[in-house]
Amino acid sequence: MRRGKRRNFLPGIFVCACGMSILFAQGVGQGGYHFWDSLALFRAFSLAPSERTILFAIRLPRVLLSFLVGGGLSLGGAVLQGVFQNPLVDPYILGVSSGAAFGAVVAILSGIYFGLFTVPLCAFLSALGTVFFVFRLARVGRKMPLEVLLLAGLAVGFFFSALISLGMFLSGENLHQVVFWTMGGFWGRSWGNVGMVLPFFAVGVPVLLSFGRELNAFLLGEKVAESLGIDVERTKRLLLSVVALLVASCVATSGVIGFVGLVVPHVLRLLGFQDHRKLLPLSLCVGGVVLLLADTLARSIIHPAELPVGVVTSLLGAPFFVYLLRQRKKGL
Amino acid sequence: MRPYLEVSEVSFAYRDGEEVLSNISFTLERGDFVGVLGPNGSGKTTLLHLMARLLVPRKGAIFLEGRDIQTFPRSALARKIAVVFQEIPGNINLPCLDVVMMGRIPYLSRFQKETKVDEEAVHWAMEVTATLPFAEEPFSELSGGERQRVLIARALAQKPELLLLDEPTSHLDVAHELEILEILKNLTAMGITVCAIFHDVNCVAQFCGKALLLKAGYLLRFGQVTEVLSEESLEELFGVPFAEVAHPFAMRSLFVPLQGPRARPQRGWVHLICGGGSGVPVMRLLYEAGFTVSVGVVNQFDSDAEMARYLGFQTVLEKPFSPVGEEAMRETLALARSADYVVIAPTFWGWGNVRNLDLALALQKEGKRVFVFSDALREDHDYTGGEAQKKLRILLEDGGLVVDHARALLRHMV
Repeated sequence: MRRGKRRNFLPGIFVCACGMSILFAQGVGQGGYHFWDSLALFRAFSLAPSERTILFAIRLPRVLLSFLVGGGLSLGGAVLQGVFQNPLVDPYILGVSSGAAFGAVVAILSGIYFGLFTVPLCAFLSALGTVFFVFRLARVGRKMPLEVLLLAGLAVGFFFSALISLGMFLSGENLHQVVFWTMGGFWGRSWGNVGMVLPFFAVGVPVLLSFGRELNAFLLGEKVAESLGIDVERTKRLLLSVVALLVASCVATSGVIGFVGLVVPHVLRLLGFQDHRKLLPLSLCVGGVVLLLADTLARSIIHPAELPVGVVTSLLGAPFFVYLLRQRKKGL
Repeated sequence: MRPYLEVSEVSFAYRDGEEVLSNISFTLERGDFVGVLGPNGSGKTTLLHLMARLLVPRKGAIFLEGRDIQTFPRSALARKIAVVFQEIPGNINLPCLDVVMMGRIPYLSRFQKETKVDEEAVHWAMEVTATLPFAEEPFSELSGGERQRVLIARALAQKPELLLLDEPTSHLDVAHELEILEILKNLTAMGITVCAIFHDVNCVAQFCGKALLLKAGYLLRFGQVTEVLSEESLEELFGVPFAEVAHPFAMRSLFVPLQGPRARPQRGWVHLICGGGSGVPVMRLLYEAGFTVSVGVVNQFDSDAEMARYLGFQTVLEKPFSPVGEEAMRETLALARSADYVVIAPTFWGWGNVRNLDLALALQKEGKRVFVFSDALREDHDYTGGEAQKKLRILLEDGGLVVDHARALLRHMV
């Protein structure tokens, strides 16, 4: 009955891949550093001041942020897909993205300014407000039926999307800024942005990772989970709230980046990781690596210009996803 | 001493005013194997959910070892009560071992790893259910019977004292059904109390110690299987007649649901005189009530003749659109002699069928009870210029009974 040790090395590989890709991304870009030069990170004092600025003040925060956002989105996606028992759910289903975008658009167009983080802050508050509103809409008595929640999220999302379109229509010369924000990206992100998301990750990620067992029980159905002594309603509320916070912080700093949160957990499931105790940490790592590499590609492929990172993830990810689907049609 | 499990005057409603369960009370002892039977929508699953505390009773309470189950902490209750639900999830790719291991959730705190104790519990659960051979196989690749056994093992890994199952055998073929029932029976021998909803009366009749009959939210009967299950109680429960037959080599009887009067000739034999469709509703009613019916004389292809043929009644036919002839008369008389009653449907009378009344008169002389539907007496039903009316009068004078509708007829014939 002892479990075989097979597959236990896989998580290790993924964690290594994370480290390698961070170093790799650190090396890519102007200045022609190579992979091994990235190791200079560990002996920073030996670098010239200009190099130090490029590596530490410009590139490293961007690398870390894209990794965190990718990881947060796909971890959030994996958790929500587990809670909803629906593989088509993405982390924006609760209305976070449209809420955040709405807040950002309002901030950009109204021209209010109270510091460097005006737009992210507005986006974050608006996202949370939207999620709260969706939760209130979906409450039936003491319970929150998931189908109702899904539909409420969709409805509110559409409403805000319409408002955003309206805002774009009326935006005039700010249109470029608005469109750029809604596409999402990491251009010009600094340590301040990393500092913005970090607290949410420090709290949210460990909480979410600790719910692998409960999410596994959800696979057998909510009633079974309840009969196993899990407080299903409370667990749902907690997980949804934490994911909402985490995703809202991601969207607020980086804009709406699609695809990662939906597809990374999905691909991992197709590869045979249905056990949430593995799926959740793997989603975090793989999502991070995917977005990091996509961003690296986005900022270097038509240098010195940049592609929106969401375009890169979708352009490369969608065909890969279709390929996987065709490979194991029955695996869903 | 208080019983192990006591369900005390429990009522439940999903919405106000629509009680699904009303005033249910019963007690179980350790090691009982209880089968719950009842028609669809009688509240069986709701009762099971109440016992598992997935629902809270509107009135009354459920006591486990003398303590209200509402007062148990969640995981403490999950260590005592395990549930196997009706739905079998299909899309789980986890190895069966992991599925069964989920049963240990109530024993593990959030950051605790599974210990030796947990592995032993899982091993025991899989051994009892004979699922060890596919411990490492993905759940989704198992057959229906294997999945159900894994799900039972999952429940057993909780090391429950009370195991609740909702139709554990409904998706399974006979061999797997027997397998599951044997497993459950063995569990009760270990002191686990098993309470299961069954679809099939004979699962309960053969395997359970106690039976609980639920009808429309009421507890119809509860007690030892041999006392509770009978032809009468099952007919009352399901509204279908049952016959108790001896098992070829076991002590307990089997119950066979019956359909149609052929299987129950004891309700009597009615000879029906009808025609032109007047006999169709009467035939349906007599058929449902379990009577043997003979029909005649009717013309071939008449809708009454068609209905009689469809229900398998013995029928004497005359050629289409022809008056009743001598030969048909003799044949009918011979057939109807075995009948207990003669019934005259609310038909119309013409020169074609008026001789059927001679038949009725002859049978009444021989001592048969004759019932006449009142509509058959109406003047506007008579197209023989009074001939039929005359015969009917004689019939009534000699003791024929008039009934107004078919239900009244049944009341007379009880």
